[in-house]
Amino acid sequence: MEAQEREPVAAGDTILRTDGLVRKFGEFTATDHVDLEIERGEFRSIIGPNGAGKTTLFNLISGALPVTDGTIYFDGEDITGLSPQQRVRRGIGRSFQISNVFGGLSVRENVRLAAQSVHRDEYNIVESLFKTTDKYERMNERTDRILERVGLDDIAEEEADVLAYGDRRRLEIGVVLATDPDLVLFDEPTAGMSVEETQGTIDLIEDVLVDQTLMLIEHDIELVMELSDNITVLNRGEILAEGTPEEVANNQAVQDAYLGGMVE
Amino acid sequence: MVAGVIQQLLDGLTLGVVYVLLAAGLSVIFGVMHVINFAHGELFALGAYFALALIAPFGGTAFFAALIVAPLIVGVIGVAIERYTVQPLYGRNPLYHILLTFGLVLVINDLIYLIWGPGASSLARPDVISGTVSVLGLGVGVYNVFIIVAGSLMAFGVWASLEYTRYGLIIRAGSQDRQMVRNLGINIDRYYSLVFGMGAALAAFAGIILAGTRQVNPEMGMSVIIPAFVIVVLGGLGSFKGAVAGGLLVGILQESILRPYFPFLEGMVIFLLMIGILLIRPQGLFGTEAPEDESGDLLTGSRGGFLDPQTRNRLGLAMILLLALVPLGAGTLYSTFIVTLMIEILIWGLFALSLDFIMGYTGLVSLGHALFYGLGAYVVAITIQDVTQSVIVAVALAIVISAAIAWFVGFLSIRVAGVYFAMITLAFAELFYNAIYRLDTIELFGEEREVTGGSEGIFGLDPFYGIAGIGVDLDSIGIFVGTTVLTGQLLFYYVALAALVVGFLLTRRMLQSPFGSVLKSIRENEQRATFLGYDTVVYKRRAFVISGALAGLSGGLYTLFTGRVFPDNAEWMVSGEVIVMVILGGMGTLYGPIIGSFTFFSLEHVLTGYTDRWRLVLGSIFVLFVIFLPRGLVSVPELLAPYLPGGPGPGPQTEPAPEDSSTGGGD
Amino acid sequence: MTPDSNTQGSRRQFIKAVTAGSVAGVTGLAGCVGDPGEAGNGEDLDDFDTVTLGILEPFTGEFAELGEERHKGNEVGIEWVNESDEYDFEFEYETFDTQTSAAAASREAEEAIQDYGADFLTGSINSSAALAVADVADSNGVVYTPGAADISITGSNCSEYVFRFETNTAQMTEVMAQWVNDELGDQIFYHYADYVYGESVRDEFEARMESLSDSYENVGETTSDEGSTDFDAFITQIQNNADDADALVVGMTGADLAIFLQQAGERDLQDDIPIVTTTGSFTPVRGGAGLQAVGTYTGVRYSHELETGDNQEFVDAYEDMHDELPDNFSRVGFESIRMVATGIQEAGSRDPDVVKDTLNDLEHETIFGTNRFRECDGQAENPVWMGELVEPEDGGDVTEVTFDLMELDGQEAIPDCEDTGCDR
Repeated sequence: MEAQEREPVAAGDTILRTDGLVRKFGEFTATDHVDLEIERGEFRSIIGPNGAGKTTLFNLISGALPVTDGTIYFDGEDITGLSPQQRVRRGIGRSFQISNVFGGLSVRENVRLAAQSVHRDEYNIVESLFKTTDKYERMNERTDRILERVGLDDIAEEEADVLAYGDRRRLEIGVVLATDPDLVLFDEPTAGMSVEETQGTIDLIEDVLVDQTLMLIEHDIELVMELSDNITVLNRGEILAEGTPEEVANNQAVQDAYLGGMVE
Repeated sequence: MVAGVIQQLLDGLTLGVVYVLLAAGLSVIFGVMHVINFAHGELFALGAYFALALIAPFGGTAFFAALIVAPLIVGVIGVAIERYTVQPLYGRNPLYHILLTFGLVLVINDLIYLIWGPGASSLARPDVISGTVSVLGLGVGVYNVFIIVAGSLMAFGVWASLEYTRYGLIIRAGSQDRQMVRNLGINIDRYYSLVFGMGAALAAFAGIILAGTRQVNPEMGMSVIIPAFVIVVLGGLGSFKGAVAGGLLVGILQESILRPYFPFLEGMVIFLLMIGILLIRPQGLFGTEAPEDESGDLLTGSRGGFLDPQTRNRLGLAMILLLALVPLGAGTLYSTFIVTLMIEILIWGLFALSLDFIMGYTGLVSLGHALFYGLGAYVVAITIQDVTQSVIVAVALAIVISAAIAWFVGFLSIRVAGVYFAMITLAFAELFYNAIYRLDTIELFGEEREVTGGSEGIFGLDPFYGIAGIGVDLDSIGIFVGTTVLTGQLLFYYVALAALVVGFLLTRRMLQSPFGSVLKSIRENEQRATFLGYDTVVYKRRAFVISGALAGLSGGLYTLFTGRVFPDNAEWMVSGEVIVMVILGGMGTLYGPIIGSFTFFSLEHVLTGYTDRWRLVLGSIFVLFVIFLPRGLVSVPELLAPYLPGGPGPGPQTEPAPEDSSTGGGD
Repeated sequence: MTPDSNTQGSRRQFIKAVTAGSVAGVTGLAGCVGDPGEAGNGEDLDDFDTVTLGILEPFTGEFAELGEERHKGNEVGIEWVNESDEYDFEFEYETFDTQTSAAAASREAEEAIQDYGADFLTGSINSSAALAVADVADSNGVVYTPGAADISITGSNCSEYVFRFETNTAQMTEVMAQWVNDELGDQIFYHYADYVYGESVRDEFEARMESLSDSYENVGETTSDEGSTDFDAFITQIQNNADDADALVVGMTGADLAIFLQQAGERDLQDDIPIVTTTGSFTPVRGGAGLQAVGTYTGVRYSHELETGDNQEFVDAYEDMHDELPDNFSRVGFESIRMVATGIQEAGSRDPDVVKDTLNDLEHETIFGTNRFRECDGQAENPVWMGELVEPEDGGDVTEVTFDLMELDGQEAIPDCEDTGCDR
């Protein structure tokens, strides 16, 4: 794997902006007028107690849930009304916990499916029905490249279900990478992992997704402080604070909230 | 006139109340344990038969006693069914309940024939509830009034116990959100038997009161089960209130409005209503939120790792060769009928394959595949009868029209998932089935032309294998192979075999293509496929179109095979049977359905030779299959592998095992 | 007759094509023609001891009760033929279950011909199954004696291989229409089941009324699906129209009719309008409807009390074998088999092609006296009666049936050859 360094954030180049984002479930407001602005290349973490609306926010950005009110801009385009798959095609990738790979398919097929999604404009519907997958050069080249990048080229024909823990994690990140995202949403990628496993995952993300803008939901505050360019703190659906790790750490409201145990 | 209207309303209420009782049990059973209980109709019939048996020795006065005792017996049977057959299936996809209860329908129905014989009998009832009374100058049947009053009291009693008892509270909560109830620390599973038994008893009660005026006959269960499902879907799965509203609505609609004033629309309107409701408000009139997705796993066939690809291909080729030899032995080694039977097996093999393409690869359970099979059969028949004798034109039309209708049905249906998809496809198939009867003949250019031939069907067709006069008539050519001459049906065998092989290779090719990869990813994890950027609805719809086209082809072949077509070819039992074949053979493999078709027809053929009660045996086999061998026959080698000398060790069998069909073998 | 004409099925047609010189693409050894579809009984057509008979009845499903009744008649017929000195051969038979569907019936018919090697088929109760079997018999060249009453079997869908002893709807409605027009009037309301049989009752009755009376009017119609169990809505409609009509003609049979009569009786429909049925005399219908059916008028195709022909001998043989009295379906089974046997005996051959030619217009002594299958349509010339369901004399709970209201002999009842629509 080639070692690359994350480029410094280019100020003023906004990749994602949300404007007054609201999501209600019946009477309950899960996301309450959230305004976010993410710069291209930024590593942004979202923290907050359970029920603060972090996952809902990701669901709204990725399109898994429709918004109740507000607007989402991606690369300057209003994407609020788009379906999840349209958003993926515009460059919003979403990574899941590792149990979410296609367990019955081989490692290669997992990655190829993602690559195929990117390359699908290169063939017509008849080809897509009758030309076997091994005949698509660009798609398979991309698949090979990514398998190599995440270090799974040796076990590409294994079924995903039988992979070891670490390999599955690589696969999951490889799949996201193969969708060619500009922005990747990670929802607690390290949940349930030991300290070493967590570190391994984070290293892999840092290593493989150097060109991408990253958004991370994470409960491990130390890790967040160490990794993030900026941190957004949510509480009860609203933004409590936002800024660099230092700014957030020194924020009175955040300190109060955390010292106060951040109401569950 | 006013009196007439009142009488019509009374008729509607009478039937409506019976429907309410029938649907209430079905609905609550579904709501609480997600079981689609096709056997509910048979429990309804059992109630009437037990009442018949109880009343016979004592005469009409025992009617009231039977009204209490018979439902209790059926309730106990319901509990037993739940304990011993349904319970092993919890956590699996509702599809397995369809197969299980389909098997139970065969078993219970045949037991009724075995014990009580085939005829209809009337249920004696006391004089108190016979005859007519005059109300405001209107002659009203006392028994109708009795049905309305007794049925309403019963429904009210059930409602009250659901509303005001602890059990009722738990059941109601469970039918809305099982997980929540579990989170409260209540073991909802323990209530399942109770709910099932109660539902069965309610059905039995409905069966008895209806039998008092309609007679008891072995087919009475079959005749109510489809309307009962429509009502449950209309009212909202799991909703008692919905069952009441839906039952009365359908009863009154059918008896008081459609029959007297729009008889032409009867049989169509309730299905149109059901489709409309499912599209606009999938949860039904009174259902709460769309149901939790507790659909459970579809257990697909073997992993395909048992044989290496080369061996598989060779085995497939050998099978095709072997099949190609079958007609040669006709008349010498075995009778020609074996070939006839094999043709039917090949045609249904293709039909089952088409269903598996949508069911095994995208997880969409179509309960209406008879629509496409019947459509193909009728398109070919009508084309040959009215347009051209050319088989090529007729079959091409059958494929194109089936594909087009599949696109339309898919366009409307695929947005709803799971059981709702099953129900909406069932509704479309029933609409088509009704249309066959209504489109007997049409006026065209001032001339009456035969279309579907109504209940008679179309026969005496004379197909021509060619186009524009160039081609052959299978009956007038012969190919001599040694001492055997191949002609007519023996030649048609090769047409059917070729169609199946082409269908198989075509679908296998598709599964190796990018399109097929996406289908497999949808089966594995649809949400994840969405987040790879795929519009899964589009892919499912395409798969449905391909499936519909292949089913249409198989139906068209059936017409060519027999030279005749009947409405029976499109009835819902056809959809049920083909699902049975797919699961019997092994879903999610391309050769599994073909094995399923072979097994189904062979069993039927062998069993009918030995006993009139073959449905009992067949039904029992399905029940055992679904409980003990849900992955179908194709999983047998894998299960046996560890015990065979030199075979591969036991593979991981606890997970759902999908098959990688890129290595799928021949037939 | 070519020497090969004994072979069956599509092969027969193939051979015909060969002799006509129109065969395309024949390869191989033309001299060595095997015998597909004929396992072992193809030889010695004129010198034989046995004849294979395939019996196709609905032994399971909704028509099972009627199928069993007919099969009892089949058994009496087979025993009659096998034990009689009049016939030089014996029947061997196998039963096949047509279930309820036409699709199953045609598959079973194929099995009977191809697997069992039957040269003669008999059976089926419901019209759609009988039509399907007739089509199979026609294309395979075997003689078939169906049971259903649907007109088209010996009408527009007739076949040179199909001979019917069952009295058809045209014959039945002839006597019904004459009696209704004489006794009740010509304003008719119809209720019928929406399938082949029901529609044909309406059509035939209507055609006869139109020719009998200039002022005939169809006052209204209601239709129910085949297999309906619920007639309340229709009865209400009929009652609403009762004042305008002289009679209600019901085109239904089997369980449909039994349930209809029961529900109609419950609502005293007979008091509002006379009910005229085609098959109310059938034992299962009377059994199902019970005493609610008292006062219903019915066409009568058969009664065990008839003194015609050798009916009483048949009744005795039937009682000996089954300990009960025969009814319409059992007499159809019995006489269908006996008439076919007479044809085989007369032809001196078990070749269906020879037998079918012999059977045309051959005079038989039957339970109805002298009778024949007409050459123009294959229909037997059965007499018909009009009767009424009455309270039983012994006070049981099943009505008895009279047949003394009107009688037409066989030639009066049967439509003219030109009107059958049959061209065979």
